[in-house]
Amino acid sequence: MRNLTGLLFAGGLGFMLLSIAINLDFGTPTMLIGGAIQSNALQKTGATNIVTSVVLGYRGIDTLGELSILFAAAASAGLILGRRHTTAGTQTAGGFVLRHGGSMLFPLLMTIGFYIIFHGHLSPGGGFQGGVILAAAFFLPLLARPGAQLHHGTLSLIEGLAGASFVLIGLIALQQGKAFLQPMLIQDTLGVLLSAGTLPLLYLAVGLKVGAELASLLSHLAQTESDA
Amino acid sequence: MNEHLVLTIALPLLGAFLLPIIMRSSLAMGVWIGPVILGYGCWILANLWLHGNEQPFSIAIGGFAPPLGINLYVDAMALLFAFATQLLGLIFWPFRLDQDTPKRQALMLLLVASSTGLALSGDLFNLYVFYELVAVSTFGLIAASSSSAAYVATIRYLILSGIGSVLTLFGIALIYAQTGTLNLAHLAQLAPDQLNNDLGLAAFLAILIGIGVKAELFPVNTWVPEVYATAASRLSAFLAGLVSKLSMLIILRLLLLIFHQPEATQVILILGILGVISGEFAAWRAKDMRRMLAFSSIGQLGVIFIAVALPDERGVLAVLALSLHHMLIKSGLFMLADHWGGSLERLRGIATTSPLAAGLFVLFALSLVGMPPLPGFWAKFTLITELAGQTDPLYMIGLLVFLLATVIEASYLFRVAAKMYQTKPTDIVRSNSPDSGSLSLTTASLFGAGLIAATVMVSPLGDGLQAIAVQAQDVDLYIQTVLQQPLGEGQ
Repeated sequence: MRNLTGLLFAGGLGFMLLSIAINLDFGTPTMLIGGAIQSNALQKTGATNIVTSVVLGYRGIDTLGELSILFAAAASAGLILGRRHTTAGTQTAGGFVLRHGGSMLFPLLMTIGFYIIFHGHLSPGGGFQGGVILAAAFFLPLLARPGAQLHHGTLSLIEGLAGASFVLIGLIALQQGKAFLQPMLIQDTLGVLLSAGTLPLLYLAVGLKVGAELASLLSHLAQTESDA
Repeated sequence: MNEHLVLTIALPLLGAFLLPIIMRSSLAMGVWIGPVILGYGCWILANLWLHGNEQPFSIAIGGFAPPLGINLYVDAMALLFAFATQLLGLIFWPFRLDQDTPKRQALMLLLVASSTGLALSGDLFNLYVFYELVAVSTFGLIAASSSSAAYVATIRYLILSGIGSVLTLFGIALIYAQTGTLNLAHLAQLAPDQLNNDLGLAAFLAILIGIGVKAELFPVNTWVPEVYATAASRLSAFLAGLVSKLSMLIILRLLLLIFHQPEATQVILILGILGVISGEFAAWRAKDMRRMLAFSSIGQLGVIFIAVALPDERGVLAVLALSLHHMLIKSGLFMLADHWGGSLERLRGIATTSPLAAGLFVLFALSLVGMPPLPGFWAKFTLITELAGQTDPLYMIGLLVFLLATVIEASYLFRVAAKMYQTKPTDIVRSNSPDSGSLSLTTASLFGAGLIAATVMVSPLGDGLQAIAVQAQDVDLYIQTVLQQPLGEGQ
């Protein structure tokens, strides 16, 4: 009975999707808002990467919401997973090549991660993507040396301060008589590293927060796994 | 002054990010941060309510004028629910101190911030982001009750919420593909031309089922009894009392502004009727107090869905009155359940040991059933007269089911009340009540006092709600307020 209802629901949903898809013209999107943003994003935000001007400017509060969702998810996972303690030495240690390979990759990953974060307003990339690479940089040595641990105190400090600075940059704009999260200090130079005003700062906060959060989440998971 | 409204969302987020850090260095300072932030939020909103002019206004976030950027739309209805969110967040603040306190309080701040966002936001995708934040922070809070039953309940809730989120996102994507905008006012302008078709209806249904997960809509409410029975009562009260109403508010707004198809209201009416029937019968059979309250909440939300399906501003008035009434009553009843705890059998003869609590229960029950001087009567009376005025036979069925539900409701509530006033058999040893007993009784008395105050002031309250309903009904006002602003900040 349960299976049958599930099947009926899935079938009905599939039929609805198909009949809707037939009616939409594919490949010619309605660019009502998109077109307007494309035409005035450059002078409004100074970011040559228009995606960034949407993510941090036009829809900045959505990004703040996404950051909070990530924070809530990491905190919830911490609540559930954080009670156990790792028993070191249950996993075999990695070999020489694995350990030193992991260590050598660390500076490279850090460089790439920060490069992507700092150039988010100029080229594809930004805080979310760079943050994930930073998290990988910290997590890779952890995989190579099963006994090693990340310092959760430091991670949660970075996480909290980065999130708070995102909100604070928005509040400073409010303090100066502008709207909450309004981009400030927009220079008239385009396409150089120091441009687009506060947007790169916001992306740095996003990158650090995403990096710290994912790293601590992954290490929580790894510890719980080594427990089982 | 108006721009400061955004602080009611921004400050709780800031507090949530900083709370774990501050609590590590100074617990004594940390425990005050949350209540202070929420208290300040209440103050901002109350100030706006008292000193603001009656006109609704819109705040452009990031300084980008509305159809391009995101805006908060503030009318009396949004203000009312935002205020209720901050106030209930303060009342149900998780004071309990243990090793999980920083995370629990941070999650609670996130929950309040996102709920306020749900009440205020004027952008479809922004609503979705806040809706997701509500979902994710409640997962953590429920699982933090850390009983294995709570874990199981969370898993079911998580899966249903996930399905709901995907459906909502799908509906939003359809709307965006069709119109190319996400701003509610802009959508309201374009809807008569572009969304008054099958595609718009499909998008509405997807959003309805998705948002319906938290509004306890009929087929997607199976998570409700487990979660409310296993989570901390204060959290259950917040979810049942407030979050369900906010989801209802989103559906109401979308219906008023964008989707005017008759099929949309028909679907809501049918699902609402089914919700009333299933909820009330299940509540009648329940053996556990919290479970009974959870099922009765499904039934009550079904009644509100029936009211949402009503066409004009009297319908909106009925929705508002029923929602606020249910918010007061359910929060109070959950606090009483927290005070007593456990199965209904243990309540036998409890009136002799705690007369105040038993009296409060009778008061809430009377208002819930709709006894004349109490506010519940006026809320239900509005709904009945409005339903009786409709010509469609489906509304008649709604009316009949609603009356039947009231009878069932009276039957199980007074069965419990009668049990309380029976003489207590001597062989049952009362287990000692939990420590939070007196705090939850105080909270319940607060809601009881609120109910009595509402009874005394029922006529000015009714006029106020009527004005709010008329304002919320006015689509042209919404479009004008949001789109006719000078560029820059909303002054």
